[in-house]
Amino acid sequence: MAAKDALQAARPRNEAEETVEAIHRGNVDAVVVQGPGGPQVIMLQGADAPYHVLVERMSDGALTLDADGSIVYVNSRLCALTGLDAQQLVGRTFAELFAGPVPQQRADDAASDAQLCRSDGSDLPVSVWMRQMAMGGVVATLVTLTDMSIQRRAEEVANAERFARSILEQATDAVVVLAPDGRITHASWVAEQLAERSPVGQLFSEAFPLHAQSANQEGTLTRFSRESLDRALATKPFHGVEVRLRDERMSGRSFLLSGGPLVNDAKETVGSIVTLTDITDRKRAEEQQTVLVAELNHRVKNILAIVQSVAGQTLRTSPSLPAFNKAFSGRIQAVSIAHDILTQTRWIGIGFNELLTTVLAPYGVGEGRISIEGPPVLLEARLVLPLSMVLHELATNASKYGALSAPFGQVTISWQLCDDRRRLELVWLERGGPPIEGNGSRGFGTTLIDRVVRFDLDGEADLAFAREGIRCTLRFALSAEAMPEQVPASAVQPD
Amino acid sequence: MTATAMEQDGYNLRLYVAGQTPKSLAALANLKKLCETHLPGRYTIEVIDLMKDPALAQRDQIVAIPTLIRQLPEPLKRIIGDLSNAEKVLVGLDIAPS
Repeated sequence: MAAKDALQAARPRNEAEETVEAIHRGNVDAVVVQGPGGPQVIMLQGADAPYHVLVERMSDGALTLDADGSIVYVNSRLCALTGLDAQQLVGRTFAELFAGPVPQQRADDAASDAQLCRSDGSDLPVSVWMRQMAMGGVVATLVTLTDMSIQRRAEEVANAERFARSILEQATDAVVVLAPDGRITHASWVAEQLAERSPVGQLFSEAFPLHAQSANQEGTLTRFSRESLDRALATKPFHGVEVRLRDERMSGRSFLLSGGPLVNDAKETVGSIVTLTDITDRKRAEEQQTVLVAELNHRVKNILAIVQSVAGQTLRTSPSLPAFNKAFSGRIQAVSIAHDILTQTRWIGIGFNELLTTVLAPYGVGEGRISIEGPPVLLEARLVLPLSMVLHELATNASKYGALSAPFGQVTISWQLCDDRRRLELVWLERGGPPIEGNGSRGFGTTLIDRVVRFDLDGEADLAFAREGIRCTLRFALSAEAMPEQVPASAVQPD
Repeated sequence: MTATAMEQDGYNLRLYVAGQTPKSLAALANLKKLCETHLPGRYTIEVIDLMKDPALAQRDQIVAIPTLIRQLPEPLKRIIGDLSNAEKVLVGLDIAPS
């Protein structure tokens, strides 16, 4: 029993001895001591070697601060970030590392942003994590610094990409970005719509098969094989080649093909930006304008010829200068009214009834002296001027010598369509005017009516001078099918 | 192995380490090798990292790391160090060399 007690008493001593011996022999690398807050693990020398290697190899900067905020340890990454070596950094205060606010430990254990001073005077954006902890009874602060410049750069690139993307999306032209091999890397919304399927990843020539618009530009396109066109578009500037897309959906539409090199920061060509501008409407407008200018020239020449002719003939048949003045002004006024009608109706044409009302307004068409009766007819623009002149001559004659010169005289205008609605027959009938003696007077007015109806209206005029008043019958074509291009007969000098 | 068998023959071992210190890593490697050689299928090892929770040191009155505790079979035994001396470990754990 005594021996057993002795063994029991010896046991703790043996454990203590064993512990001391293990420490002495280097078989342990940490001991547990009783600290104020409970047991604490104290590392023996060399025990933290793996951690040290890890800290030295990590991609973040790391440092340790003593209780006074002085740097006691830095890893090699922090040296690289600051551009200073460990000897230059150890002993400095933490605050010296930063430009601007000094980061503080956060209650939520999160990192905070700061600007790290570099030895070359520049600043580096860093994310700083800090934690204060007791180590073997000593308070120290552990700090890691993460280089944010790459992330910032990535964010900037992403922002720039988003910005460029939004420009592409908003562009009204089809814009595509080509890589040097001619493949499309980016496409605007409009470009997506033009192509049959998403053009990204396709060669330009696949996504947008082209025809040149004109023969000489066809040469520009056919000089290149399909492959070399893609390469050319991807590397050389291309300006203003008019093309059409072979896609049936785009038939009839014209595009302007332009391209320019895409250059990076190092001034290297990394591809190109190619645009297809839809110029269909512009081309149509240009074509319309060309037609209009030609038409305008033609009409101005006609008008000048008419004016010249009317002036000459009026002068020849006028007994005096005041008589000439009155007759000439009236005829030019008729021309003017006709042009007002054409302008107002945009040279489309006018209803016959409306033409009569407008041209005969100065002669009392609305006052019961002139009655109008006939089916609705739309007159082509080319008929407006000659009909206006004929009606003016008839009305002028009536007001000077015929029915409208007497207080109770009447003019009845009636018409009907004939020859399957292709021709119109108009009857101008005067009654109640002074009786006509003999065969009537054939002056310039009657000559003009006869020529204009015959040549400008492809018709015939029949003037009958009955004693009770004039009866004028006009028959003319409503459509210009068989009408040859010619100078108006109203401009032809009489024999 | 059944619970009864474990109670009769099994070794319930507990190794106290301090993170990944060289001696801790060595102790765990040596212990596994030794158990696989001499106690195949008859042991369990519980690794306790006192770096994560130093208070656990109180349970087995640990003063040095690494320390191996034999919970079962009783009586409780402890071996301090990296367990590199296999013979000493076998004697300390009362394991007859196979």
